[in-house]
Amino acid sequence: MQEPKKILKYDVLVIGGGIAGGESAINLANLGYKVLLVEKELSIGGKMILLSKVFPTLDCAACITTPKVSEIARHPNITIFTSAEVTEITKKDEHQFEAIVLQKPRYVNVADCTGCQLCEQACPVNVTDEYQYGLVGRKAAYIPFSIASPRAAAIDIDNCTLCGACERACPTKCIDFTQTDEEYLVKVKSVVVATGFKLFDPLKIPRYGFDKCKNVITSMQMERELAPTRPFNTILRPGDGKMPDNIAYVLCTGSRDKSVGNPICSQICCMYSIKQAQLLMGALPMADITIYYLHIRAFGKGFNEFYAQAQDMGVEFVKGKVGKISEKENGNLILRYEDIEEGVVKEAEHDMVVLSVGVLPNQGIDEVFDNQKLQLDPFHFVNQSDILASPAKTSIEGVFVAGTASGPMDIPDSILSGGAASAETTSYLRRANQ
Amino acid sequence: MKKKVGVYICHCGGNISDYVDVEKVRKAVEKDESVFLAKTTMFACADSNQKEMVEDIKDQNLDGVVVASCSPKLHLLTFRAVAERAGMNKYNYVHANIREQVSWAHSDNKPGATEKAIKIVKAAIAKVRNAESLDPVRVKAIKAVAVIGAGVAGMRAAIELAEAGSEVYLIEREFFVGGRVAQWDDLCITEETGKELITRLYDEVMKHKHVTLFTGAEVVENSGSVGNFNLKVKVTPRHFNLQCNPGELQKAIDVCPVEVPDEFNFNITKRKAIYHNYPSEYPQLPAIDVKNCTRCGACEKVCSAVDFFQKIEYLNLKVGSILLATGFDPYEPKKGEFGYGEIDNVVTFPQFKRIVHYCDDKLMYNGKEVKNIAYIYCVGSRQVDGDNKYCSRYCCTANIHTAITVKKKYKGIHNFHFNRGIRTYGKAEIWYDESSRLGDIYLQSFEHDPPAVEKQGDKTIVKIKDVLTSDRELEVVADLVVLVTGMVPRKENSIGNLLKIPKGRDKFFNEIHMKLRPVETVIDGVTIAGASQGPKNIMESMNSALSAATKSFSLIDSGELALEPTVARVDEQKCKWCGKCDDACSYSAIDKIELDGRTIARVNSAVCKGCGMCLPVCPSNALDLIGLADKDMENMIDALLSNV
Repeated sequence: MQEPKKILKYDVLVIGGGIAGGESAINLANLGYKVLLVEKELSIGGKMILLSKVFPTLDCAACITTPKVSEIARHPNITIFTSAEVTEITKKDEHQFEAIVLQKPRYVNVADCTGCQLCEQACPVNVTDEYQYGLVGRKAAYIPFSIASPRAAAIDIDNCTLCGACERACPTKCIDFTQTDEEYLVKVKSVVVATGFKLFDPLKIPRYGFDKCKNVITSMQMERELAPTRPFNTILRPGDGKMPDNIAYVLCTGSRDKSVGNPICSQICCMYSIKQAQLLMGALPMADITIYYLHIRAFGKGFNEFYAQAQDMGVEFVKGKVGKISEKENGNLILRYEDIEEGVVKEAEHDMVVLSVGVLPNQGIDEVFDNQKLQLDPFHFVNQSDILASPAKTSIEGVFVAGTASGPMDIPDSILSGGAASAETTSYLRRANQ
Repeated sequence: MKKKVGVYICHCGGNISDYVDVEKVRKAVEKDESVFLAKTTMFACADSNQKEMVEDIKDQNLDGVVVASCSPKLHLLTFRAVAERAGMNKYNYVHANIREQVSWAHSDNKPGATEKAIKIVKAAIAKVRNAESLDPVRVKAIKAVAVIGAGVAGMRAAIELAEAGSEVYLIEREFFVGGRVAQWDDLCITEETGKELITRLYDEVMKHKHVTLFTGAEVVENSGSVGNFNLKVKVTPRHFNLQCNPGELQKAIDVCPVEVPDEFNFNITKRKAIYHNYPSEYPQLPAIDVKNCTRCGACEKVCSAVDFFQKIEYLNLKVGSILLATGFDPYEPKKGEFGYGEIDNVVTFPQFKRIVHYCDDKLMYNGKEVKNIAYIYCVGSRQVDGDNKYCSRYCCTANIHTAITVKKKYKGIHNFHFNRGIRTYGKAEIWYDESSRLGDIYLQSFEHDPPAVEKQGDKTIVKIKDVLTSDRELEVVADLVVLVTGMVPRKENSIGNLLKIPKGRDKFFNEIHMKLRPVETVIDGVTIAGASQGPKNIMESMNSALSAATKSFSLIDSGELALEPTVARVDEQKCKWCGKCDDACSYSAIDKIELDGRTIARVNSAVCKGCGMCLPVCPSNALDLIGLADKDMENMIDALLSNV
């Protein structure tokens, strides 16, 4: 590999531009520190910006996230790299970190892109849209989603045929196929790890038929169907486009399950499923919603009341573990489950099934640190070295953790954790000046 | 009058446009004589649209802006900031709420909703037409923070604030620091005990020269507001001099004839009127409980450090911000609730923790060895009939963790968990799993059918219709029944009342917005941390304490605050001082002054919130709100009443 070309200097490197990283970055920037925010996706905003409404207040997620994202994007003390990755961090001394940041090409000059979408219309390539979690397609020249920040096009070079249609269509000539990987050497005094989480892949439980049964979707797909930037403008089952009227939720898909290597509770699935059930009752007033659960973990402020509200609205709660899902010819699904209250194994038919998939660590961040070890906990989340007194501290002094990088967390807790990480970073930085 | 107003009508994804015909609204207002441009937008708050608005304002020289979107609670400040970035005075921006007040409220009547939206936007245009440019009220911010409560959250926040560069006054009502965690021995998550954690935090607090700790201290008065709070603090003496001989101290405790229930041990033991909670309690100096002391003088005779002449002192502190970390109370079951107070071997979870602390090799209660323990969960939480509808969050995990400790510490323990669905969320699941493996028995019921505790002869029996065994009626003979009690807000809430901190449905302090501003309150400059905002475990309390410290600090960091200029103003000619406005003001923002031999009212614009309570009570109509004058209101009402 070549020597890094450009050297950049900041006070803090924040890895991850979701809500936790964003909260840390804003707090630090407001106190006058220069922050570099590195995000691997094309847009900042993390997972929250893609959600529908959020529990227990049913605020629209976009309405809360977009102004925060906008505040981050235009803050004079924050520099953002999207589609960029931190590949290496070396701690030279206290308050001296050197990071290598790899800026991947977007093939679009973001400053010149007006987001007019003419390139999208011109592009002949259709591929699955990952930001809509595979529910619909997108082009190889595309704007990730309508409220993305930056709201600029990108070229999916893996699928691009290099036909040049987008270049010809672009009125500002901002498409640039000559862009290549660029490496930066970034010198900072402190690092905040806010790398977030990934969702459990339901293909790991073949019994649930995620790949075989067309009308079995994940909770994130349902989240997209309910979001303001939704693909269909209503709720449809993907198999045949029918509006479902009998939807089942399977909780603990990939959580509290040693057989898939994840023994812990994901902390958010009960609540987001209850929230989706409430939203579905609004969107499809005639639909029946059944939630198959082991224990309902409605523990946060206002959560238990929100659970009670769903019960009052008529959401059916069945205490039982679903063993198997199979598909009928008409696309409906048969759930075989243990009804714990009655102590028998039963079967039930639904026309759509949502798998409430759990929270898993985004692995690999520990490998980025080359001369000191970033310790992970037994579940591969970033270990909190002084969890009771300083929850943001990690095994490396000067490296702090924010949000779900350290474990499953809901949005309010992630924001508080982001706030805690910025507080600890502030006092660490102040010690540098003493 | 403005002639170049820009109007933006937001779809809000579909939140608005599903019910309001936004294009029709745009067309209805674009012809208004003041309107220069009218646009619709998918998300007005999105970064791309904000950029477009800035460009419009600059390129088209707009002199006023209206955004018709969600509640101003959400985005008034967002769009004011847009105006500012474009070089426009932000008070030339007016917000129209067509979501909460229109689309969500009238989802059953789309034409009606559209008509109402048009009127509301027209009213906003009527207001912006005559809007004045205003400058914020600038006040000096004192670079000091008062942290109320020296439990783990308060101490942690104090350390953080001091490290960031603030002067900190840490004010604790009790004579000893540590709050509830001092009463906990083993803690979840790590091997550290409550005492060790407190020792660590206390040492750091004492190390910081910028933290001043007051114990036995209470805030009794507050005047002033954000940036300049004037707090009067009452400090109760502990009646001991600092220099004292440890041997003499112990003698003084020994000779004290007064015995009262020891609240630190949740009344399962007794203490003297001279007391410390435990021998290494911080500060390491006992206190005299003057409420119970009989002034017999026995202690004075054996200990020279006793000093009954110490008096209550009052201090005045000036701070820029206040951080409340006042904690929680454990729920106190009612007499007869699951046998509490009536059956002798029914205790609460906090009492149980103290019993475990005092029993070394055998678990004893009331002179009998305990083998079978029945834990009843959700006592005081998730109530069907009571007011506490919420889940107390920490109890499932804390209790299971304690049950494991008990099983490992003593021989022959059988744990029976009478629960309503265990909520060991996140990584705490591991303890639930461990306790099951150790052979603990879990029995479950639902809210409406709780277990019952009965005395049969000399036996205490817990009965349940168990969900997990197809509703079979099961009974357990228990040597000890532990009521796993939840968290409730502090009974003693003088500081909350003094500062007028609003409470949520659960009666804990309420934040402004759970996700956007989770540690701030509607009282500017007052932040909330730890369990005072709602049940939390220690880690969660620390996160909120650190977040609150950051918010409090960033308020005062620059030494100056810019406050809203939209406050009340007095027409000096019309005012004839009757005092009615002063009576109506909840913020003590109105003073009486002498002007040219006349007495009139004066508004302290740093304290006034612009709430308008003083306006209607003024008999001579001498008060008005800057930015929302009577004339503005009349113009808006006219617009609302006009035909669409």
